[in-house]
Amino acid sequence: DTPRSSEPPSERPGERRQAEMKILYGASAAKIQAMEAAVQLSFNKYCDSKKPKYWPVIPLKF
Amino acid sequence: GVPGAAEPLESREQQVRASLRERYLRSLLAMVGSQVSFTLHAGVQVTAHFGATDLDVANFYVSQLQTPIGVQAEALLRCSDIIAYTFRP
Amino acid sequence: MSEWTKKGPLEWQEYTYKEVRVTACEKEFRGWVLTTDPVSANIVLVNFLDDGSLSVTGIMGQTVQSVETLGEGDWRTRERLTHLFSSGHCEGYSL
Repeated sequence: DTPRSSEPPSERPGERRQAEMKILYGASAAKIQAMEAAVQLSFNKYCDSKKPKYWPVIPLKF
Repeated sequence: GVPGAAEPLESREQQVRASLRERYLRSLLAMVGSQVSFTLHAGVQVTAHFGATDLDVANFYVSQLQTPIGVQAEALLRCSDIIAYTFRP
Repeated sequence: MSEWTKKGPLEWQEYTYKEVRVTACEKEFRGWVLTTDPVSANIVLVNFLDDGSLSVTGIMGQTVQSVETLGEGDWRTRERLTHLFSSGHCEGYSL
């Protein structure tokens, strides 16, 4: 199938991710993906609104 | 269906991976709002309220971080600085 | 750093519900294994405290040097671990 012109040519990250999830988690893929999305969404929300700074400023371990 | 032995290895592995991952994600979600004590590298020990974690890099967003030199209202702890974390659900 | 991160789900599953001693960055942690995250190899340990409450410890997979089994859980321990954070008791999680 050819991508529509509004989409980037060879990139379908959502679909690729879904296929990878299926390989990893089989029948539970959708459930795990939904839980991961909930965790990630909450993190993104905090970081966008609070703009936290790293502590300590310099990494303890390189 | 046919139990146990006839099951292909891959699907058993998928099942186990999914259940390990689900329990891990649930433990993270259960940590939200808890007071967490972090053991960091270089002998540093800090406590904070857990807010959220990044799944890819596993950085921890925390609030009210009590550091050896004072309290920081919001902070991001680097995954690579952390050895372990403990909380009471 | 460790062989732990190179194991697979079936190997990690072997440790689930067992009492273990984990050495990570020269520090020791003990407890019952609730799970090992198959993505990061982080281990989640549970300790049942005398007052009936419990404490949960996550150890970053990258720092794990060794995991030693100390004992097998009886069915009650297993039962408690199985129901911990299971559906319905999980605040903050909604879809």
